[in-house]
Amino acid sequence: METKDVPHGAVMLFGFPDVGLVGVIAASHLISELNLTEVAYVDSRLLPPLIVLHEGLPHSSIRIFGNHNILLAVSETAISADTIYPIMHTLVDWGRDKNVKMMISMSGIPVQDRQDIEEIKVFAAASSRDTLKMVQDKGIEVLKEGYMVGPQAITMQYCASKGVPAITLLAQCFFKYPDPEAAAEVLRKLTKITGIKMDVSKLLDKGEEIRLRARDVMKRTQQELTKMKKTQEYDIPLYVS
Amino acid sequence: MSTRKKRSIFDIVDEYFENLEEWTERFRESLIEKPSWNRRACTIEPLRDIMVAPAEVTLTVDLPYAEENTIQVKPISKDTIEILAKMKRKVRFDDFGITHYKGEFQTLHCQTHIPVPVDMDKMEIRFKKGILEIRLPRKHGYEIPIE
Repeated sequence: METKDVPHGAVMLFGFPDVGLVGVIAASHLISELNLTEVAYVDSRLLPPLIVLHEGLPHSSIRIFGNHNILLAVSETAISADTIYPIMHTLVDWGRDKNVKMMISMSGIPVQDRQDIEEIKVFAAASSRDTLKMVQDKGIEVLKEGYMVGPQAITMQYCASKGVPAITLLAQCFFKYPDPEAAAEVLRKLTKITGIKMDVSKLLDKGEEIRLRARDVMKRTQQELTKMKKTQEYDIPLYVS
Repeated sequence: MSTRKKRSIFDIVDEYFENLEEWTERFRESLIEKPSWNRRACTIEPLRDIMVAPAEVTLTVDLPYAEENTIQVKPISKDTIEILAKMKRKVRFDDFGITHYKGEFQTLHCQTHIPVPVDMDKMEIRFKKGILEIRLPRKHGYEIPIE
């Protein structure tokens, strides 16, 4: 459901609840830094009977914000494992309809001993060889082998099947705790790819506040991640050639 | 090689029903959804994670705004640990734009059940980047020799 005119040819970003809430925290920061306004929202019976109230007014839990060259899809609640496919497919189809030039998902990759990591790495996966090369040329390390579980996995796979250039950025993060530092690293890499400049220092300054506010969303997200068997990302894949 | 202490059948049955009662209580609590804050006690329940490895159990707790020198880790039974930490500042519902609840919180508090026998006396504690890490060596029963 569109509430405003949506620009064509923009870059479409996704920030959905996942490990470390990296995508959601990064998306929230983008919205405030770039003053993005709501341009559309998802209305579906597949979503739970839930709305989000902002300043007393009702909003869908999945909304799309934007300006003249960015569209940002963000969810404020965990997406149920049963509804990920139709929701992500619908969002990608909507983005294709708006002739987006690229889709970028922001998320995390859980690591043990995250506390001991001083320099957070960000990895990328892409939907085609050309996009992968572009990412590598920007100096971002590629996730060569492994499993990906969650909304960003479905988005990537669907974009690849439809020939839409797509990238997933995954920052090393905590599995079960909100991770603003990881979100900041994803945003730094996003700047390298898209040229969208933003200041992440405010995000880092508000780190503890974000960790406190995001506890309940993290808890709900964890429940959905368990249903999706998110820990399969730790598995060593058997590559069948 | 350690030897197993003999117990009467009545002790074994009593222990079985005690454990069953505790398990039922924990299961019942896990089904009941409750808020992560407690207005009366002015506490917020932090996120935590527990990892059971062959040699040790690692419990981590996310403690945003915690003052490090106020963190308390107390074993309250052979399988439960209580964690308390005072926050650097009071947090109110107003701070989050919530006006339909009133309350302020200044303490992070939780109790965590440890699912396997551990040696509480040999607990190691570390606090880094706002995450409290507690390592507990596991207690094992007698070993069966491999011939």
